[in-house]
Amino acid sequence: MKVLRWCLVIASMVYQVAISAETLEVTIHGMTCAFCVDGLQRNLVKLPGVERADVSLKHKKARIRMKPGVSPDIADIKQAVIDAGFTPLGVTVIPDAQ
Amino acid sequence: MRSSQTTVFLLSILMMSIAHAMGLRSFVALPVEKGGAVGRMQLERNTDQDIERSTVNLAYGMRARHTLLFGLPYRLSPSGPDRLGDLSALYRYIAWQVDGPARTHRLGLLGGGIMPTENSRDGAIQGGAVATFYRQRYEWDLDLLYAAGLSDRPDAARYDVSWQYRLTPAEYPDWGIGAEWDLVAELGGRWRENQSTVHQITFGVQWISQRWVLEGGVIWDLNDPHHTSLLLSTRLHL
Repeated sequence: MKVLRWCLVIASMVYQVAISAETLEVTIHGMTCAFCVDGLQRNLVKLPGVERADVSLKHKKARIRMKPGVSPDIADIKQAVIDAGFTPLGVTVIPDAQ
Repeated sequence: MRSSQTTVFLLSILMMSIAHAMGLRSFVALPVEKGGAVGRMQLERNTDQDIERSTVNLAYGMRARHTLLFGLPYRLSPSGPDRLGDLSALYRYIAWQVDGPARTHRLGLLGGGIMPTENSRDGAIQGGAVATFYRQRYEWDLDLLYAAGLSDRPDAARYDVSWQYRLTPAEYPDWGIGAEWDLVAELGGRWRENQSTVHQITFGVQWISQRWVLEGGVIWDLNDPHHTSLLLSTRLHL
């Protein structure tokens, strides 16, 4: 019974990890005004598996939240930034918020 | 005679398509995303000559550095023939681009043509360049465009130097795209074969949000300060 209980606990933890969503931040250079970065946000949201995308002109970054269980394609994300007319730099994976 | 010649020249200036610009009247080398489009509707009224025209512009992003620019003017007043202007089509290629954390420097090449909408008019081939320098809250746009007229169409040319300054906000929010107010000052020149060059100075403001731009300004003719025009425009990210 005790073993079964521990198995259930471990199984639920594994399940939680498997369905957790990933969040990434991409550093982007070349962004200017609000109107100019609208296209960037549209491009990012259209990517498969992307649940939400936010842009920060202050921090020169875009924050991308993936749908649960979907792994990000870094190359696709960088290409979306290039297709919007800007320059992507580093990509940082943010641990899923508790 | 001088007054009628001035009117004709002003009409010809007003019917020159402006195409996509982030300055009030100048071109810019800023991007339109791949597959994206920006539409613009502009109204301009020359208060002295009682000339009004509207211009519809469209910018389409083919790829990251490749943009198509279209412009079509229409004379609202005075009435009479030839109210629909000629269609301007330009291909803009960003040949040089250096991006930094809060800046971008870009140089674009322009090439295309002017297609007449009336059989009585001839077209033109046009080419030029545009540069944008943006840093922190300031932006400079410079453009130069020459249109070589075909058959009987006279040659024409233009230059613009545009300066924009973000009035507010002083600092962007941490996340999200909010609206901003920009101040604009521009110097521009318009030349047409067998006519003198008209130099104009423009002052205006822009309200810029994520999808909309609303803007307005006043244009003074430096050759004759009594000649002024009012400009009102809106842009939409389609």
